[in-house]
Amino acid sequence: MNKIKEVCAVIIETIGSIIGKMGRAFVNFFKHFAQGDKITKLSYVVMGAGCFLRGQKAKGFIYLGIQVCYILFMILSGGYYLSMLPTLGTNQQGEVWNEELQIYQVIKGDNSMLLLLFGVSVVLVTFGIFILYLMSVNTAYKNEVAVKNGEKLLSFKEEWNMLFNEKYHITVLALPVVLTFLFNVLPLIFTICIAFTNYDKMHQPPGNLFTWVGFENFTQVLYQNPLWATTFMRLLTWTLIWAFFATFLNYIFGMLLAMLINKKGIYLKKMWRTIFVITIAVPQFVSLLLMSKLLNDQGSLNNLLISLGWIEDYIPFLTKGNIAKITVIVINCWVGIPYSMLITSGILMNIPQDLYEASKIDGAGPIRQFFSITLPYMLHVTTPYLITQFMGNINNFNVIYLLTAGDPKSLNLYQAGETDLLVTWLYKLTVNEQNYALAATIGIIIFLLLSFISLVTYNNSNAVKGESDFQ
Amino acid sequence: MKKLLSILLVLLMACSMMVGCSKEPTVVNLKVWGAQEDQEMLAGMIEEFKAANADKEWNIELGVVGEPDAAKKYLEDPEAAADVFAFANDQLRDLVNAGGLYKVTRNTENFSDIYAPGTIDAASIDGTLYAYPMTADNGYFMYYNSDFFTADDVKDFDTMLDKAAAAGKKVFMDVSNGWYIASFFLGNGGTLSIGADGKQVCDFNNDKGVEAGEAIKAITAHAGFVTGDDSILIAGIQDGSIVAGVSGTWNAESISKAWGAAYAATKLPEYTTASGKVQMGSFAGYKLVGVNSQTKAPVEAMDLAAWLTNEANQVVRFEKRALGPANVNAANSDAVKANVALAALAQQSAYAVSQKDVLGSYWTPAEAFGVAMEGKDYSKSVQEQLNDMVAQIQQ
Amino acid sequence: MKQVNEKKKWTPRRARRLASSILGHGFLTVLSIVWLFPIAWLIMQSFRGEPGAFTKYFIPKTWTLDNYIRLFTETHLFNFPRWFMNTLIVAIFSCLITTILTLLTSYAFSRLRFKARKPMMNVILILGLFPGFMSMIAIYHILKSVGLDQSLVALVLVYSSGAMMGYYIAKGFFDTIPKSIDEAALIDGATKNQVFWHIIMPMSKPIVVYTILTSFIAPWVDFIFVSVIMKDNYNMYTVALGLYQMLTRENIQQYFTEFCAGAVLIAIPITLLFIKMQKYYVGGVTAGGAKG
Repeated sequence: MNKIKEVCAVIIETIGSIIGKMGRAFVNFFKHFAQGDKITKLSYVVMGAGCFLRGQKAKGFIYLGIQVCYILFMILSGGYYLSMLPTLGTNQQGEVWNEELQIYQVIKGDNSMLLLLFGVSVVLVTFGIFILYLMSVNTAYKNEVAVKNGEKLLSFKEEWNMLFNEKYHITVLALPVVLTFLFNVLPLIFTICIAFTNYDKMHQPPGNLFTWVGFENFTQVLYQNPLWATTFMRLLTWTLIWAFFATFLNYIFGMLLAMLINKKGIYLKKMWRTIFVITIAVPQFVSLLLMSKLLNDQGSLNNLLISLGWIEDYIPFLTKGNIAKITVIVINCWVGIPYSMLITSGILMNIPQDLYEASKIDGAGPIRQFFSITLPYMLHVTTPYLITQFMGNINNFNVIYLLTAGDPKSLNLYQAGETDLLVTWLYKLTVNEQNYALAATIGIIIFLLLSFISLVTYNNSNAVKGESDFQ
Repeated sequence: MKKLLSILLVLLMACSMMVGCSKEPTVVNLKVWGAQEDQEMLAGMIEEFKAANADKEWNIELGVVGEPDAAKKYLEDPEAAADVFAFANDQLRDLVNAGGLYKVTRNTENFSDIYAPGTIDAASIDGTLYAYPMTADNGYFMYYNSDFFTADDVKDFDTMLDKAAAAGKKVFMDVSNGWYIASFFLGNGGTLSIGADGKQVCDFNNDKGVEAGEAIKAITAHAGFVTGDDSILIAGIQDGSIVAGVSGTWNAESISKAWGAAYAATKLPEYTTASGKVQMGSFAGYKLVGVNSQTKAPVEAMDLAAWLTNEANQVVRFEKRALGPANVNAANSDAVKANVALAALAQQSAYAVSQKDVLGSYWTPAEAFGVAMEGKDYSKSVQEQLNDMVAQIQQ
Repeated sequence: MKQVNEKKKWTPRRARRLASSILGHGFLTVLSIVWLFPIAWLIMQSFRGEPGAFTKYFIPKTWTLDNYIRLFTETHLFNFPRWFMNTLIVAIFSCLITTILTLLTSYAFSRLRFKARKPMMNVILILGLFPGFMSMIAIYHILKSVGLDQSLVALVLVYSSGAMMGYYIAKGFFDTIPKSIDEAALIDGATKNQVFWHIIMPMSKPIVVYTILTSFIAPWVDFIFVSVIMKDNYNMYTVALGLYQMLTRENIQQYFTEFCAGAVLIAIPITLLFIKMQKYYVGGVTAGGAKG
């Protein structure tokens, strides 16, 4: 409970500081306008005026160019998309009889999805331009002050050179930021918007329109639609159980394997390690699909066991709910242990040997040493790794999808099977059911869940504290 | 800045495209979707189509999307989808709901004479024809090894199972699949229909349905029964452990190869319920060719779709791929009648129900019921399980 | 515990060591068999002569090279050589872009101090919490709107776009390099650009190799984004999606053994890379992912 309180305090503090900063910027914006001279006032309307009228020609005209482009863009198309955002289109696709061709010619309507996508893009562009605008206004005021104090303004060349030194971060981050915005932020905001619409099979563009429905999808999934709600709760529980076992079993067994290979008296250490590394290198979609064939009710493994006389009837490895759940966790060990073996083996060797020597004198056996020295040390060092692994496992699409595809299906679950994680359910709803709205809603809920877990854990982990020490 | 430019670029491109569209097209660009194994055959048909319509310049592209996935792939992005594509007729309603198909209105006068009974209905919704019937073979029946079973044995499911179990052999049917498992319910009078709100209505949980459910429970628990997918069936037939199996025409080639002279097929058998013997029903599926509503050349696309499904090409389909024609003349040819699998399908068709009124919501719950039976999950009564299933189907 | 001590007294130390060594080796052998078993099966299947997706026995009855030969000769439907080239091209370009961008981003977050640093790191952390393919449909339409759908460029962009998101491990690595080294260089008049390229980079071989390796492998194993972007355009498929297509219901009977052959062919280079680069891979991930 205390942790949660702490986290809330952190959140409130962050939000508070953001609001504070925004408030100050807001006040400055008007104060500078009032205090500024004519040129500064002009640059509130004409971007870059405060630069090119004071000698910074190149910089000023770049600002001006941006402003002109933006205005043109808004007139030509941006404005239209912005105006369509509230309704997401009103013209439905229709048809008229064409006597000459003898067909019902299709008349295209509005495409709600594209309207939403481009509408969101326009909002983002506008937001970006707004920030540039604030920067240009700010520069104009600073330039005015600098000129008044008799300082020399930076030339374009000087500012250019700064990009490789004092302002190197701008150079370095420009491209990654653009890519992240285009392929992560924009799609994400679009998808988040989808969660508040009724975009499903019955409202599929281009034939049909969809529109805003507010929080309807959330209330449906959380309690109003009993089938969705039970499916969601059961998959959520299973997702958490899965993530826990998948993370910690791999971790512990990987560590034990690494310790075994590192042990004195084991020969051919490199060979053993390489054997396990090979399994990492075989693509998962190959190894897991093969596993699913191998573990089939009539598959080779069952047949082998039957012919050896070890079992009488086949074992439903992947076709009976609870057995399938155990199977996927075990198979995931096959996938994941080599990774954690590789990662832990290096760190294991860093544990100070005198710790072991001391405990040996105290009469501790290997098992006690493991629990009193090795495990605490490793947990201390690898907490961030474990957290990322846990979160990765909550979204571990590949293992489940390729091994069981979520099956066996269950009568108690809506469009899902016993081994489905929330994330594979999301995928199925998108691809098989075209229920984009529900899928997006689940995506947001997964996000909220993960961000809660990460806030609680990251704020208490050594790595984060270590980072601040480092600064 | 970059982003702004790219958006401006998009805009310019969009404008230029619009300008481009308004011009009279000199070359007709069309894309056709067909199944992987049909590609070569389709390419041949398209070449002939081009030759027969040499007055226009054609640029016809072929894409690989099989009939079972067509609607799914179509709905991903209708604009990027093929202009002319083949699909299974249970997808018709989804496609029409999405406004995805052009109505078939050109040269339709004598369609009722050209096409086998039932096919036109399978391609229509509320009396409007939305696609061209291509094949009438998307159904299933019983393959059996005539060295093992007599023609009398295969009339009754229980006889088959007992005989197979006694010899340590298996009879195959994929019960964890809504398509096959429906045959028990449909045979016992169950119906699937569309409600006034456009949702699926299903009565598989009434008394008759429970009878069928109990029969499924008994059959799946029988020592002579095995379930699984196609690969299990084929492997079992090849190694001799499976002596009979419910499947469709697509497996005819592998099965006849494995059994040789003992290869035989017939309608589905009768099964036993509390109130007596019941003939198993089945779904009758058709494959259709539709024209994408987003196409830029609807007239030409329709002509091409009509060409791909004309009598000559239905004959080609039968000859090259053993697909059952939907065209009356092609279907009545001696060669088709002599085909063991198609003859069995024709026998079964008397008990078959059109798949048109089955919505997407049916499949997963029906499969889940099959899984429960297959996994011998008897934690709930059959009645309760069927209630759950129907509740989900009608969701 | 006490028993163990008593045992020690009357058992010669060497015999005990020997026993534990035999036990250890035996256990490792068993584990190796379990781990290599599916891979051995894959290789055997790829040489299987009998057709079909599925056999009840493990060891093929007839052995053949046909599966491999068919991959390269029967290319009218499944064009394996072309897919291989596509993947190689995408892998090389996206690996180059990703590596440079990831390392630069990590360097910026590790060494440079600017106002937006902390907020940016937080935003990236938040972005990483959304399930990746939640936004795949939007990505497809964005690419389509600039005319890049169904092209290899689109794939390169998609695989490289995550570069910034993967800063975490490389930043961890850079954090372990003492700051005094670059401070000394800055005092000597080097720019930050020069510090990065001439001082940090040469010291970061493990993390460079790690980043190259992970970004090079991604295109070989992803089949979800490729299928969303390429749709029905078989010629633009990558090997992962192409091979995946061989396992659809209609194809699996005929192509399963070919699938295994193709899988072996893509596993070989990746395995060799991994074995060769193992040392750096471990060095990179342990230094970057975990610190005390």
